Amino acid sequence: MQPFALNYARPAVEREAATPYVYDAGLQLNVLLDGRIAAFDHALLRELGTTTSTAGSKTHFDD
Amino acid sequence: MTVLILTGEEDVTADMVVAHLNASSVPVVRLDPADLTAGAALSGEYVHGTFRGHLSSGERLVSVEAIRAVWVRRPGVPAARAAQPSAWLTQETAQALYGMLRDCGARWMNDPDAARRARYKPWQLRLAQRCGLPVPATLITTFPQAAREFAERFPDLVVKPVSGAHPQEPPRAVPTSRVAPGTDFAAVAYGPTLLQRRIAKRADVRLTAVGGTLLAARKETAADADPDQVDVRFAPPGAPWRPAEVPRAVARSVHAYLRRARLAYGAFDFAEDADGTWWFLECNQSGQFGFVEVDTGQPIARTIAEWLAGTARPGTPVAES
Repeated sequence: MQPFALNYARPAVEREAATPYVYDAGLQLNVLLDGRIAAFDHALLRELGTTTSTAGSKTHFDD
Repeated sequence: MTVLILTGEEDVTADMVVAHLNASSVPVVRLDPADLTAGAALSGEYVHGTFRGHLSSGERLVSVEAIRAVWVRRPGVPAARAAQPSAWLTQETAQALYGMLRDCGARWMNDPDAARRARYKPWQLRLAQRCGLPVPATLITTFPQAAREFAERFPDLVVKPVSGAHPQEPPRAVPTSRVAPGTDFAAVAYGPTLLQRRIAKRADVRLTAVGGTLLAARKETAADADPDQVDVRFAPPGAPWRPAEVPRAVARSVHAYLRRARLAYGAFDFAEDADGTWWFLECNQSGQFGFVEVDTGQPIARTIAEWLAGTARPGTPVAES
């Protein structure tokens, strides 16, 4: 009784790595531990995949 | 005049835009509806034929009348982090927040009504056809026999979720997947199934539309790529995204799509075939863009910031609320 498309489902991969930045409410930006703005560190963003088109988001599927 | 950004704290992609707005000295209030009523607050007064409203988030307070643009980026579920969250409180909070904002005169990226409609993938396919974009032969059905007949006409098919959503409990992902020859379609009867002719692609194309500005990027498919690996989101990293020229006919059609959909922002996915044709797959009205900017250096965040600030170049189509 499983819908056809679910025959192609696979377990969702949860991101395990903690992001090395925290939200600064004053700046309204996420900042790295050394105070730099995380969004400017493109190498880091690429590594973390936090800006990628992801699949399986619980709340948003407009990726 | 302030730009209101509805998104969560962890949204580092939104940060890319906030940084540009900060650099331009454009006031920003970043508010996650999930933080109402713990960390964020709202108030609106309808007295003597007038309206006065205020929103606060963290230490910032903005009058609703001072909001020039609303960017609905990745808003949390309203009141999800309230002291005593409930479905009822979420509904109450959504009504209060979005109801108050709807007529504030700000520009929306994207207008909530337009956004809701634009999420329907079948609607997207039809609109793309009407706008002259090539759409791969597609069937959405609960009739197993219709699926069998479609597979006879188009033997090389992929299947993907109609909604684009992925099942939870337990969390699973349903990538666009190739349907093997001789597949049994009986289970089509248990849920709407979207089957589509597979495009033998030589590249994936992501076209990010911001107002009237189109920024396209292309990710080449490796010559030795597994043809069963259809969904670029689940494929190994491979080639980076590179800036791409938008064919004039595609640009015309995309502008028509945005106009008819009343979208100020859209992330279009295409599959480019061996002839160079861009086949429309979908348009995500709030699609990610950070990964494209990171790879290509295209100024997507800056373009969004300029649109929100109202400083985008003249002639840029604007979706009014």
